[in-house]
Amino acid sequence: MSLPGFSALINAWWFLLLVPLIIFYFLKLQRPRMEIPSLALWRQVITDQRVNSPFQKFKRNLLLLLQVLLLCALILGAMQPYLSRGTEQAQYLPVLIDNSASMAALDGPGGKSRLDEAKEKVSQLIDDLLADQRLCLISINSTARKLTDFTDNKRLLKEALSRLEVSQVPSRLEDGLRLAQAMSRVQQIDTVVLISDGNVPQEIDFELPFKLNFQKLTSGGANVGIVDFNARRSRTGWDVFARIEGTLKAEGSSGGPPTAKTMCEYELLQNGNSIKQESVSIEGGKAERLVFKVSTTIAISLELRIKPDSFDSLPADNVAYLELPAPRPLTVYCPRQMETYRNALANIPDVNLYPGTENEPKTVDLKFAEGPISLGPQSSVVMNVGFVPEDLSSLVELVAGESEIIDWRSTSPLLQHVQLLDIQIADDPKLAKGVAERDFELAGYEILAQSRSGPLILERDLSGRLDYQLLFHTDRSSLVYRVGFPILVQNLTQIAAQRAHLLDAKAQATGVLPIQKITPDTEVQISGPNGQRETATSDSNGLLSGVGAQSVGGYEITGSGDPIKIGVSLISSSETGLRVAETLTFPEVSISAATTALKTDQPLWHWFAVAGLVLLLVEWWYFQKRPFGAPG
Amino acid sequence: MDSTKQFSSLLENSTLSRVERMRLLPMRRMTNRSRGEHLAGKGGTSTEFNDYRDYSAGDDMRYVDWNIFSRLNRPYVKQYRHEEEMHVMILIDASASMRFGDKFEKARQLAACFAVMGLMNMEKVSLFACQHAGQTPQILSPCTGRMSIKRVLSFLENLPAGGDFPIDMAVEAVLKQHRGRGVCVLLSDFLTFGAMERPMNQLFSAGLEVFGIQILCGLELNPELTGDLRFVDSETGMTLDVSSVGDLIGFYHEHLHGLQEHLAGLCRQRSGRFVCLDSGLPLETLVFDTLKRKGWVQ
Repeated sequence: MSLPGFSALINAWWFLLLVPLIIFYFLKLQRPRMEIPSLALWRQVITDQRVNSPFQKFKRNLLLLLQVLLLCALILGAMQPYLSRGTEQAQYLPVLIDNSASMAALDGPGGKSRLDEAKEKVSQLIDDLLADQRLCLISINSTARKLTDFTDNKRLLKEALSRLEVSQVPSRLEDGLRLAQAMSRVQQIDTVVLISDGNVPQEIDFELPFKLNFQKLTSGGANVGIVDFNARRSRTGWDVFARIEGTLKAEGSSGGPPTAKTMCEYELLQNGNSIKQESVSIEGGKAERLVFKVSTTIAISLELRIKPDSFDSLPADNVAYLELPAPRPLTVYCPRQMETYRNALANIPDVNLYPGTENEPKTVDLKFAEGPISLGPQSSVVMNVGFVPEDLSSLVELVAGESEIIDWRSTSPLLQHVQLLDIQIADDPKLAKGVAERDFELAGYEILAQSRSGPLILERDLSGRLDYQLLFHTDRSSLVYRVGFPILVQNLTQIAAQRAHLLDAKAQATGVLPIQKITPDTEVQISGPNGQRETATSDSNGLLSGVGAQSVGGYEITGSGDPIKIGVSLISSSETGLRVAETLTFPEVSISAATTALKTDQPLWHWFAVAGLVLLLVEWWYFQKRPFGAPG
Repeated sequence: MDSTKQFSSLLENSTLSRVERMRLLPMRRMTNRSRGEHLAGKGGTSTEFNDYRDYSAGDDMRYVDWNIFSRLNRPYVKQYRHEEEMHVMILIDASASMRFGDKFEKARQLAACFAVMGLMNMEKVSLFACQHAGQTPQILSPCTGRMSIKRVLSFLENLPAGGDFPIDMAVEAVLKQHRGRGVCVLLSDFLTFGAMERPMNQLFSAGLEVFGIQILCGLELNPELTGDLRFVDSETGMTLDVSSVGDLIGFYHEHLHGLQEHLAGLCRQRSGRFVCLDSGLPLETLVFDTLKRKGWVQ
């Protein structure tokens, strides 16, 4: 153990007070005069060697000694002494506190949560804070949030810590580390403390510019939860699938939650009414798949609840919500002059093609266009054919000439199973001088296929709208004569159906509510579970985005037409499984969980304060125990 | 005390009458050659038979035992014990230190008791009181007989206290003026910076058996003090700063006990006696109990 250090060494100047203290003690020492018959005996007593022993001398001026000790204790306390634990004293210390869903896991029935344990650790850190140290508390879940700035105000830190609650979202460590990295540009940060249960992604794509002290908390108890809840369109309605998993203790692992083995009662509710109730046996680490058939012609809300018959450490994953839209055909707008496309669409079942015999709706699921002027209804998926959009006109222009596709992205949903080799195209895209692929990316486009001279097929996903841009006209190419063309159109309808949730549906995970299309520039109220209330405003396109949904439960958006109800579920296999990463792997380094508690310099000032109080009491008692010098 | 009915302010009449019937019991026969009431070791002319011895020429014929001569036909001289006079010298320490408590009062009362005992037994009694160093002690010249009791008591009643005469020097000063063998009653607190060996030797050399009586008050026997004090010597005015007096009481008792042992040793080695008396105790207890039990008086 090293010698104690002092944070406020400047206060040592106060030791100069000892000089006036001693001077005033002797100046002010008024000994009561007492006449006695003779000094003969007392002189012998005083000259006795035993009386003059160091101990007796010490006793003679005990009052002075107590006062000196009291002053020393107070000054030493003011000098902020600390016991160095061998670690470098970090002046600025960011503390990342994991408050993801798994941190709500209890260690036993009626036990404390991981977050409570984390709070205890951080509270200890705050208590041990030295005078020249600053802490910054950062919560990390799916994103990172700074709870406090760098401060040594313990009250502020403790208040921020007490306000911290579990967010029922999966953890994402990178954001917290990047936030700490950003702070390190302003402050000298050598070490960052991470307090987590270890339920974080094991591999993290982040270059560590500082030391990371990973303080792993003890694992929670066994847990069972819903890790997946989705539905696929069937002929009669929907096939609904759910997956329930239990925790599994890894072999040879000292940490991690115990293996769950329980009977689990589940209940499926449709619009709040129970439609199925059964039990299933859950083995730790094995997923049980539940399948339900739901016949409906209208939009419905499904809710799945499970109830394990033994201890379940995480209640947030025992419920999942699924919103199923009403079954309907895909609506497609394709101008009459785009005959090849209309022919291809005519062979696809469950497609309502406009313009046709029926009146055009205001919005369709898929729209085709062959000119920059937008005609027809609005759509979230648009296929522009044979022209250069205005925002790309400075980058590329179409000239007459021959070109062919030399490369395409076959993994793109649009081009899956589409053979574009040896297709002759009568349009030739010419890039402007100095323009490269990077410029298209900056404009928000992704190149799906390109010729020798420039891009031919582009994709842009912007503000909830998906645009595909064919810079050549298919009618002036041999594509329409290839089998790939109807496949391309088929892929497009699949994409549109998927965007319109006509093919399948998936439970909405916590984090952010899905983008909603409502009245433009309208303020709406969002009410969530646990009485949460929030207001948000839609943009000029009527898109409502970025609404946080940190808790599992039902959210309702009101203020713009009919109320919109959205159920949000945890749906995270890693959070439910409470999997524990003993080591965090970074690109160049691996960080193992610290086996010992975070070593902080131990402040000692309160011991000196207590010593000062005790000395004061002793002095008071000594002074008051009998009237000064009076004969007994 | 009702002085109108009392013979003396020092002693009650009842005490005085009891004291009158008592006598000193010295350990050695230190007497004057003049006749008195104390039997000397050598032959004398008292009525108390001692021994026979052969007649030698020049012996007083009146001491020949004629009955034995008639039976043995040899002259034997009857010897009688010699009764000699004993001088009782009483030295009272009248310095300022004796004013504490009842020390001086007790010293005067005890002196009165010893003087009365001496006078009633036909001893020669002289009194000395030492007050200021360098000055001549107050003296009551040797007197004898019950007729002198009033004079002795009057001397003691009018004796003041105060001064800085240490007892060791007082003894020397007194011995310059004293003549006669016998008993020296030293009434003092014996709290002196000087050594007592020399005065004790001088007393012994002067043929005086020392009756050392140390009179201490409660403040000296059991000082219950605490805190930091500045002691002032009542005789010299010197000061001594003492811190945490309460912690030194144990040492004080050790030194007091050591002083008493030392004084007792000095007296014992010179065929004397020593006793320490508490001035707070009644005179009757001191005289009729303590001193009587110790065999000082009878």
